[in-house]
Amino acid sequence: MSAGSRLRRTLGPWAVPVVLLIMLLPFLWLLQMSFKPKELMLEFPPRMLFTPTLEHYVGLWQGGFPESFVNSLVTSSVSTVLALILGVPAAYALSRWSGRGRFGLGLSILLTRMAPPIAFTIPFFLAFRWLGLLDTRTGLILIYMSFNLPLVIWMMQPFFDAVPASLEEAALMDGAPWHTVFMEIVMPMASAGIAATAILCFLYAWNDFFFALILTRTDARTAPVAVVNFMNYEGWEWGKIAAGGSLVMAPVLVFSMMVRRYLVSGLTAGAVKG
Amino acid sequence: MTARASYEAQRRRFVWAAISPSLVVLLLIAGLPTLFLLVTSLTPAALVNPASLGDFSDPLRNYKLLGGDERFTGSLWVQARLSLYTVVLQVLLGTGLALMVNAAQGRWQSLRHLFVIPMVLPPIVVAVIWKLVYTPDISPIYQAARVLGVALPALTTHVDFALLSIVIADTWEWAPFTFLMVLAALQNLPAEYVEAARMDGADAWRVFGHIVLPYIAPVLVVCTLFRLIDSIKAFPLIFLLTGGGPGSVTEVTNYYAYLVAFNFGELGYSSAITVVLLTVTVLISWAAMRMSRRAEGMQ
Repeated sequence: MSAGSRLRRTLGPWAVPVVLLIMLLPFLWLLQMSFKPKELMLEFPPRMLFTPTLEHYVGLWQGGFPESFVNSLVTSSVSTVLALILGVPAAYALSRWSGRGRFGLGLSILLTRMAPPIAFTIPFFLAFRWLGLLDTRTGLILIYMSFNLPLVIWMMQPFFDAVPASLEEAALMDGAPWHTVFMEIVMPMASAGIAATAILCFLYAWNDFFFALILTRTDARTAPVAVVNFMNYEGWEWGKIAAGGSLVMAPVLVFSMMVRRYLVSGLTAGAVKG
Repeated sequence: MTARASYEAQRRRFVWAAISPSLVVLLLIAGLPTLFLLVTSLTPAALVNPASLGDFSDPLRNYKLLGGDERFTGSLWVQARLSLYTVVLQVLLGTGLALMVNAAQGRWQSLRHLFVIPMVLPPIVVAVIWKLVYTPDISPIYQAARVLGVALPALTTHVDFALLSIVIADTWEWAPFTFLMVLAALQNLPAEYVEAARMDGADAWRVFGHIVLPYIAPVLVVCTLFRLIDSIKAFPLIFLLTGGGPGSVTEVTNYYAYLVAFNFGELGYSSAITVVLLTVTVLISWAAMRMSRRAEGMQ
């Protein structure tokens, strides 16, 4: 047995966790920074064992960060709910309609998701300045709808495709109107899909940096922008930056593990079946 | 027959009622802005001069300027290099990771999901993470280098390494995408194909080259196209790590359009740059859509 293959034999079983750990090191580094007391921050070799402190999180809480966090929560949730209300019925109708326009529609929906954000930012900036919507939550919600609505329509179609049409037909033959059939038979069967779609929409809006950077200043500033501001104004407060970053990613980590099965179809806007 | 007809009419009415609100909203928040962007690109619109928004005296002015703008052509070149490096590295690394996890055959099953963490993190948090890694004052890597007596150049501000620093961070963020897609494909690969090849005496490399690779090839094409489209949008990493610099060595077209619009206030000219970007995106998206349909058809 050569040395190489012996090495593989011993390391083989551990390759996955070792590679994973190396890969996640930068991420774990940020996390531990957020709990590290200020005076230990620049120490080398870095101390692995220290008494974790919440001083950076407390500092965030006392600054303007909670407002930004609430702004992020409100804009992400409202845009998600609105996108669902509009998009779910549309997705159902499209799933039951095998018209010729589906490829074209699919392409245009994919495009709205793929277009560089700057393409929407310039017109929205001008329109918002005219309408007085700059630096407002309403403005952000509107622009988040521009990518969340197509996402809902596209994500939900396969879920509705999976609901057998014979169920609806039976109810319809009994004289039930379409909207009743939709609300009481189809929707409950697609609820898992709706939940997954809602989470993905929320994450997309939550993760946005570009739109919030340009379309907000102070009042509607979202958490991702607030984190970056710790680098510009009061010097570089690494503790706060790390704590703010950790807070911004916390909901994302929880939610994305919940919808991990649907991540692929969400990211590729449904052009690939996940 | 009349019952059937009224059923059809009702159905059509329902479909219409369900689709039209979304259609109207999409036209308002996506269609109209795109149109507006095209119109703005025909004007010399500047933030400081509101009247310039309605000036159509020389509609092709911006597009004529593009060819002679070295910063723009330079940004296209930076974009092309960034896209090429990141997409190739991500696809290779992601595929490698997927092969490794797949080879572990169910061991560490639950750890599999943790590989996607870099991809789901908010992009700005990814940028913050790498800012930590690249800032000499605080980065453990630079501290370690100092202790060892090695002088590491500051990657993000060095002309030769700035683009590399972006490529590394971007690859870290998006290799999990290919990983996820390829792993899903590998798990659908019928085991008997591989076994049959093994029986015939093929070694691991030949099994990979003749069976696994052709099987995952359509997925790799789709990954490449999607990452290619997304690489055009690169923003948070460049914004936070290099700011397009030093000079303009990391200034991709998207970032240049941002600077022109919101730092220089030249909205009209920036719109023209964006229209070019958008056209490229449309072409690649169309190709991606066609290819992924074909990939689906093959499976």
